[in-house]
Amino acid sequence: MTVAAISRAALVLLLAALIAVPVVLPMLGSPFWIDIVAEILIWSLLAASVNLLLGYVGLLSFGQALYFGVGMYGAALSVIHWGAGFWSGLAVGVIAAMAMAAIAGSVAVRLTWHYFAIITVVFSLILYFAAMSAKPLTGGDDGISFSAPTVVSLGDAQLSLANQSVQYYTILLIVALCYVLFSLVVRSPLGVRFLAVRENDRRAALVGINVYLTRYMAFVLAGALAGVSGALFAFFGRYASASYMFYHVSGEAVVWAIVGGAGSLLGPLFGTGLLIIFREIISTVWEHYLFAVGAITVLVVMFAPRGLAGAWSDLLHAGTRSKAVSPASELPPVANSGLPKPAADTTSGG
Amino acid sequence: MSGPKGLFCCSRRAAIVDEGSVTALVLALAVNGLVWGLIIALIALGLSIIFGLLDIINVAHGDFFMLGTVVALVLTLATGSYWMALALVPLIGLAVGLVLERLIIRPTIRHASLTIVTTFGLSMMLQEGVRATYGPQPRRMAAPIEGTIPLFGIDYDVYRIFAAAFAALCLVAFFVFLTRTKLGTWIRAVRHDPETATALGVPVVRICAITFGLGTAMALLGGAIAAPITTVEFRTGVDILPFCFMAVIIGGLGNLQGTVAAAVLLAVMEGLVTSVTDPTIARIVSLGLMSVALLVRPNGLFSGATR
Repeated sequence: MTVAAISRAALVLLLAALIAVPVVLPMLGSPFWIDIVAEILIWSLLAASVNLLLGYVGLLSFGQALYFGVGMYGAALSVIHWGAGFWSGLAVGVIAAMAMAAIAGSVAVRLTWHYFAIITVVFSLILYFAAMSAKPLTGGDDGISFSAPTVVSLGDAQLSLANQSVQYYTILLIVALCYVLFSLVVRSPLGVRFLAVRENDRRAALVGINVYLTRYMAFVLAGALAGVSGALFAFFGRYASASYMFYHVSGEAVVWAIVGGAGSLLGPLFGTGLLIIFREIISTVWEHYLFAVGAITVLVVMFAPRGLAGAWSDLLHAGTRSKAVSPASELPPVANSGLPKPAADTTSGG
Repeated sequence: MSGPKGLFCCSRRAAIVDEGSVTALVLALAVNGLVWGLIIALIALGLSIIFGLLDIINVAHGDFFMLGTVVALVLTLATGSYWMALALVPLIGLAVGLVLERLIIRPTIRHASLTIVTTFGLSMMLQEGVRATYGPQPRRMAAPIEGTIPLFGIDYDVYRIFAAAFAALCLVAFFVFLTRTKLGTWIRAVRHDPETATALGVPVVRICAITFGLGTAMALLGGAIAAPITTVEFRTGVDILPFCFMAVIIGGLGNLQGTVAAAVLLAVMEGLVTSVTDPTIARIVSLGLMSVALLVRPNGLFSGATR
């Protein structure tokens, strides 16, 4: 089997597994884990927005929580004040996040390197402090809660987020759609420009690519991804809080993206999944699991800077090569052999 | 996840205002700003030399400060003397810095853009490590120098005056070390041009390690000085880090004198703005100032003066 065929098969398996979650998990006696998988799907979009900037354009943003928070409040406030439904609330959240990213990005993408990381943190801190002090509107640290609107109403049959399965499949549908759009973008001419800017911005400029505009578009698209994530999280928890705009949330998203593998389409999904599952399992027995998360982060940067996705693609290539050439060729170390592996590495395919 | 209030709410309580006079309150907050500004200058200077030499953004620097406050409190309780703790903390900081540089920074420095991620992981480990061993509850430390002195018509804590003076002394000592000793000259040489320094026989790798150790020691020392005037808990680093970054950015990345000037200016300004509105607005104002500085003068406000 070729590498591409294995990747495609793994992708189909992953999708099948995700569709089967609400059916299979209750049979195993743990319906609680359905919500965990839903949460992983939602947060993975925030990691994907970090990945779009870091892995495809080469900009490390430490402020994606800002667009997450704007998406969250866009959805929550439109439901509370305008009586918006699920889809219109989601749309308001995403558009608000994109608008925020369009404003902040016009300034931020003028800077690169460490300066870009710092200015994104600064913008998110400014809005975080503003949201914390605007208590009447945002609820500050305590946040605001609302009741879940219906997703679809067909005559008498109303599908509401209060139903766990409906909520799960709605989230899965939207998240899958986002990943499809993401892969279409990175395979488009725009995606090729992203990679050109990532590899060498001066050369990209010399062949006629508008580097500033390319970075700007990536920034706004990343804002949209974070906005979808935030709006979905607001509907998922029926809750929005300014504390989600703090830079630690951005930092966690960066960790998920790096552990999963920046520059691969689905790597961050697996990074998010791995660390959230880790959190859920370890935090019940050990209160200080964040210590281990910090250690994992450092170890990944040290020994596997391409993350899970890098390990998976090394394994694939080594495996197919060793069959053809020599059975004794050494496999590279795989950090997490017992866990689901990243399906597709698009680093070379873009 | 608290706002900047942690830094200034206790400052407000410290100022005992005579006859509720407004000017006295403004002056008290300005003096508080000066005291904090000098302490933060010391911490930010550590951040700045690490950035200037190793080209890494140390997100764990605030947690080094936190470690300093915690270690100072623990040592004070263990030895019974704050002064003993104050003497030991910078040495511990130097050791911690040297070990962490060898274990974590040196192996990951190749992936330069990822050092922010490494130090973020380190920051999580420090915070959780302290929470696991020292406990989650915030504590306060008794001031080692009791009493107040009248200052501009208000009664002001003597210890705060001492803290400001001691921080200023440390700053001066550091600049003397940097310009008058062989090691300091080597540090400046590596900062200026690592390749030429290598060619001239300067042990660049060791200098980088020592610089990281010194930067860490300065953060811990800042923590030990600030321990009696702030709360001692595992989260204080989160409050102090943005402030240090503002000082480093507004002063100019790698511009050491600029960092000190910016730290003092910012803290006094925040103190003054705090006297008319709440601390959150003050923090937003300085963050706004910082983004303008980044965009308009990425080498810092004082870039024309020193380079």
